Amino acid sequence: MRVEYINPFVESAFNVLKEVLQGDIKRGELYLKSTSMPVMGVAALVGLAGDVEGRVLFDMEKASALKIASAMNGEQLTAMDELVKATITELANMITAQAVTKLHELGFRFDLTPPAIFTGDNMEVSDQDVEALIVPMETPQGKIEINVAIRERG
Amino acid sequence: MKTKDDFPSLNERKPEGMKPDGTPWRVLIVDDSMFVAKQITQILTSEGYQVVHTAADGLEGYEKYKELYPNIDLVTMDITMPRMDGLSALQKIIEFDKNAKVIMISALGKQDLVKQALVAGAKNYIVKPLDRKKVLERLQSVLGK
Repeated sequence: MRVEYINPFVESAFNVLKEVLQGDIKRGELYLKSTSMPVMGVAALVGLAGDVEGRVLFDMEKASALKIASAMNGEQLTAMDELVKATITELANMITAQAVTKLHELGFRFDLTPPAIFTGDNMEVSDQDVEALIVPMETPQGKIEINVAIRERG
Repeated sequence: MKTKDDFPSLNERKPEGMKPDGTPWRVLIVDDSMFVAKQITQILTSEGYQVVHTAADGLEGYEKYKELYPNIDLVTMDITMPRMDGLSALQKIIEFDKNAKVIMISALGKQDLVKQALVAGAKNYIVKPLDRKKVLERLQSVLGK
């Protein structure tokens, strides 16, 4: 997978997280995975289809998801209820929208699916014939991994 | 005994959500995200606006607008929604009431749709993530006209 696909997501995640969480955001080291890998507990998935195809996963621990949703709503949220899910969905929406704007400017044409939220323990994600690049982002509320698997349509 | 007049008034500013006659501006929120609807509601009610209804898709928004009319001053309209999208709902509302004041709420990257919405009669737009200042400014600029 070409690194240029992931940079817009990293940049946009940094900007959006900084704005909605009002805190210090740190970017971790990028790494590559080609086999199936564990998912932390709450994952928002957005699909891409067009000149490029694949998916972006925003992956975090349940505790981090609750803290992030609490910060974004300005109130203490303690259960994975509809509001928490709607908040994480919206976070994924905002990050993806900003990244896609950049990719469109670079000339890539594709559409997005609305985010789907997965919650549970011991989940794994596998992508056939496409490697995933992962960038961990550290927020005051916990880690979010941005996991991008995109390829050019053959 | 002290009366109200004995205290200096610290906040002379009238809440922005009030009309000159002292009644609140009445807002219809159309958004399928519970988070965004709640965020807009919190920002608006904190300034004295009255959120009369929250519709979860464009069709419900359009039907609610017709039902509330003329007791409705402003609509905030999401763009991507199930059943009927924000652009179609906007067109239907404008068809019904050409003076309707509709503000589009958009994610970044929907410039084409925002342009179409402005051509179709939307009065302004706000790009997410929403913040208090941005939302209140856009509403005021539309209601002030």
